[in-house]
Amino acid sequence: MAGPAIDRSSLHAIEGTWLEVRLTPSSEYGLRAFAALRAFAPGEEARAAACAQRIARVAASLEPSRLDAARDVLRRAPDAAGALARAAMGEALADVQFLELQRCFDAMIALDALLECAVDAEPCANDAVRQVVAALDPGRSGAFGFYLSDAFDPRLGEGRKALTGSQAQVDAARGRAAATICARLGREEISGNEFIVMRADVPASGLPAGMRVIREAATYLVCELDADEATLGAIERRDGALASVAEAEECVRERLSTVLRERAAALDAAMQALGTLDVLVAQARFVQSYRCVVPEYVARAAMAFSGGRHLPTVEALERDGRAFTPLDLELDGVAVLTGPNMGGKSVALRTCGFIALCAAYGLPVPATHARVGLFDDIAWLGIGGDDERGSLLSSFATEVVRLRDLFARGAQRRLLLVDEFARTTTPHEGKALLIAVIERLRERGVCGIVATHLGGIAGATGATHLAVRGLRGIPHRPATADLHAALAALADSMDYTIAQVNGPGEERSDAIALAALLGLDEALIAAASAAFSQP
Amino acid sequence: MRVGDAILDLALATGAPSLFFVGVGKNVGKTVAMRAVYEATVRASMTVGLASIGRDGEAIDSGDGQPKPRLLLRPGAVIATARSVLPQSPASRILDLSTLVTAAGSLLYARVVHDGYYELVGPPTASGVRDAVTGLMRYASYALVDGAVDRVAALAGGGDAIVVSVGADAASTMDDAVAQIRALVGRLRIAQYDPTVEHVRIEGALTPAMVSQLVAQRERRAILLRDPTQLAMAGPAATYALEHLNLRCERPLRVVAVTVASSGRERAFEPREFARAVAAATGLPTFDVYAGAVAA
Repeated sequence: MAGPAIDRSSLHAIEGTWLEVRLTPSSEYGLRAFAALRAFAPGEEARAAACAQRIARVAASLEPSRLDAARDVLRRAPDAAGALARAAMGEALADVQFLELQRCFDAMIALDALLECAVDAEPCANDAVRQVVAALDPGRSGAFGFYLSDAFDPRLGEGRKALTGSQAQVDAARGRAAATICARLGREEISGNEFIVMRADVPASGLPAGMRVIREAATYLVCELDADEATLGAIERRDGALASVAEAEECVRERLSTVLRERAAALDAAMQALGTLDVLVAQARFVQSYRCVVPEYVARAAMAFSGGRHLPTVEALERDGRAFTPLDLELDGVAVLTGPNMGGKSVALRTCGFIALCAAYGLPVPATHARVGLFDDIAWLGIGGDDERGSLLSSFATEVVRLRDLFARGAQRRLLLVDEFARTTTPHEGKALLIAVIERLRERGVCGIVATHLGGIAGATGATHLAVRGLRGIPHRPATADLHAALAALADSMDYTIAQVNGPGEERSDAIALAALLGLDEALIAAASAAFSQP
Repeated sequence: MRVGDAILDLALATGAPSLFFVGVGKNVGKTVAMRAVYEATVRASMTVGLASIGRDGEAIDSGDGQPKPRLLLRPGAVIATARSVLPQSPASRILDLSTLVTAAGSLLYARVVHDGYYELVGPPTASGVRDAVTGLMRYASYALVDGAVDRVAALAGGGDAIVVSVGADAASTMDDAVAQIRALVGRLRIAQYDPTVEHVRIEGALTPAMVSQLVAQRERRAILLRDPTQLAMAGPAATYALEHLNLRCERPLRVVAVTVASSGRERAFEPREFARAVAAATGLPTFDVYAGAVAA
């Protein structure tokens, strides 16, 4: 997957890699198609919408079990692209390559049958595929195998019969020679090419004919069988038969390789179609699993959604036995988002980024309804990024350098997600910086959301002010220092929904109440409350 | 006597579905021993599968350029080997492709259709070999596995029977060779533990450093390993651990025989004396495949 311009740090913050993993196709063909995917750029809204609609139609027309079966088929399809390329280059393929191709083409046919009822899923097996399957069919062996069987060419059967006969003659001749020597030496068998004869066991008349000494030791001789004339003759006939079989087998391989070579372009197209289908199956399954909807694409830097979900957080909460509160949000230009600690401001930002990313790839989005613009740059600034430059810079300096780079990066339409920028400097200067940043963003027509605890930012910039509704009441501190219980109590008390604030709003953080809930001792909390209530 | 038949009988008597061949070093007769047992399975009309840890059956040793014993396989034999070393002709019946990878490419399973020399190249990891053997058992009733030096970890948890090989190329003197086989067999034959006896469980490998610490502490409790391959040492160090600690394991291995190769590339030992010394040191039936003899 490539573009829109989203750097590693932003991808990390939005958890875009989670999305990539969930959309990863099952076969090597799919992986190649997946790697070549490009996001839709601003101006391609109609194409993006068509893409999302197609995925949604496939998802709606097939049962999840059918898509899972399709993924199973794809997983088992070996990568035969290399074998096809070699045939196209004029090489005679090996049997294992015929098997790879046969299984790849079988997978195409099976997949087409599975997806037959899917709207918009185009079949991948073409005439060339069916012709090659027919040509390779005599080689089917068991459920998964291949053998250059006699059915390919009558000369194979004849040659192999001769080979079996001549090998039997070699075995018989060798067996007779070995039996004679065993009898003379008084032993039951000679295993392998080399064998030991103790000097004490050598007959008085000397070593029997048909064997020779290859090494001598003080008490024994290392010997090997000498082929007699009968054996040599049998070996010669066997080798002749073997050469005939090899020639006949090579002829068949040449012939089958020619069948492939003559259809290489069409077969390659079928493999590419298989990859595309694999990507589509993964996308459709994603849409089914996460109940995604086709967004309405708008040709400007804006987004709005209801019931939006940041899927990685949804899953993390589910693992913890908690539920995600779907978000409704409307973003046109720059908005300021305030709200209490742990109220979900960062998650709201991530949800915006995640939905924008899905939409950019023409993928239905995790929401009940969405209206999204295409962005050619999705960027994150602040907590949660994964910036490598941080090692020698303070957190404030890291943010500033990143902001400088973002401003320097040209973008036609940018979505900027700012999470508590300038939180590590004095509130006064931090606020001044943030106001200036927002004004710059508005000048540049950026669509963005700026989460902050600093007060008065929205009012000072005239930006839309959004706020997490926050605590409905002070949650009860659990009896024991159990973080899980504290978080559950918080979830019960917190209203994570976001509302627009009209007029001067109250910037709440509920920090002291949350610190108490999370287990800070009562004396400290009391002191903090006293200090807070002083004018 | 037919040495291959005798070893096969011992192995089958354990009820194990497969027989691993391991050696104290290179060129100690593992492949020759496996070939003898393979021929016994052919005489017994068994459908046998063959695999290797690493590389076996090649004409020339890739390490020293010397000729190697080759594997002549009969129709019906099933092999797990790398696709790149499967002979083009006479064609084999390819049974399935595997996702396991060897140094010579991905692994496949094939059935031999005509007599021929085959090279076995197996996965380099113990778990890969186990998977390859599991795959073989879909097509064969019994498996023979040619082991590589220091890859005894592949034996862990498989329930296989084991034949251990020692040869004149393993050490400069017969005494040293006998000491090596004693250590290896002792290591592989660590007995099953008695749950009623007080013990110390070792997680992971039992290393020389851990052994020296336990010995220094005068540890008298049983030292419990998951299986004998956890004893990560060979030769005198292994013998020392076996003599000074009460080593026990949860899953014992089934060593059924030893084979000797008295004639090496660099030196030779007196065959009967060598076989007798090995039999005495290991307490196991000891066979000389080359001489067609048993020492005990």
